[in-house]
Amino acid sequence: MTSQTLQKVDHAALKANQLFIISLNVLAFIFNQPWLAAFVALVMGIGSARKLPGFLPIYKNILKPRGWMKPDVLADNPEPHRFSQFLGIVFMTAGSIALFLGATVLGWSLVWLVAALSALNAFGGFCVGCAIYYWLTRFNLPGFSKQPPAGTFPGMKPKAGARV
Amino acid sequence: MSTDILFRFALAVIIVIIGALGYWLINQRLLVRARNNVFTLFNKLPNKPVIVYFTTPDCTPCKTVQRPALNQVSKLLGEKLQVIEIDATERPDLAKKWGVMSVPTTFLLDARGEARYVNNGVARAEKLMEQLQTL
Repeated sequence: MTSQTLQKVDHAALKANQLFIISLNVLAFIFNQPWLAAFVALVMGIGSARKLPGFLPIYKNILKPRGWMKPDVLADNPEPHRFSQFLGIVFMTAGSIALFLGATVLGWSLVWLVAALSALNAFGGFCVGCAIYYWLTRFNLPGFSKQPPAGTFPGMKPKAGARV
Repeated sequence: MSTDILFRFALAVIIVIIGALGYWLINQRLLVRARNNVFTLFNKLPNKPVIVYFTTPDCTPCKTVQRPALNQVSKLLGEKLQVIEIDATERPDLAKKWGVMSVPTTFLLDARGEARYVNNGVARAEKLMEQLQTL
């Protein structure tokens, strides 16, 4: 845990993103709509290209202004969250392709996996993708340089003391 | 069509319930093991809530988060709480008996020595306080 510059990361925005992913994935499954799973993958992809959570506009323009969700800004690294979203895109894209190719069990399993990991993050405060990012950092892989915020277990949400 | 949707809805509910149930069962199993092994720690019950804290020397979150959280709780409750720290590398027998899978793990026992909560991974001071208040 070396000293490093942390940035302001709004964990409420991340949570809103995860809640949308969970809801839409479950709805896609219930209504048997692979295009909805593909839509989630697309939104996450657009978000990833912009280095932002995919469903951020909904949080920013609807949920936050109406007070339905309050900002939860903590000193954190945004990179692991971006990597986590990227992993989500990979699984969602693979799941969507599998669904369109008729491999429904594989496709829905991948969609449920993303929903489950998002739920773990949203409700348990543990980001598996972030933990993988920090784990890869230990191997000095190019592009993986960030350490977990001081006093934070890799992948866990930073403690409240890290509020900025 | 609607039958298919209903079936899928039921399946989704079942998957969510299984996930929640799985997590709950793992914790219940750990609590049962803790209850069965409470006298591996005490000869006589301390008649006050106890936190049994499993750690290892190389566990960084234990040092940086869990230990300060426990210190904070101990400071607030003083003599009303006992904290027992167990180094799982020194006492692998206890860690095994208590079903500890990772460190830090904290068990909260009530005054009768009954294991009531288990926290796998870091438990913040606020969470520990909330749990202690229900004991």
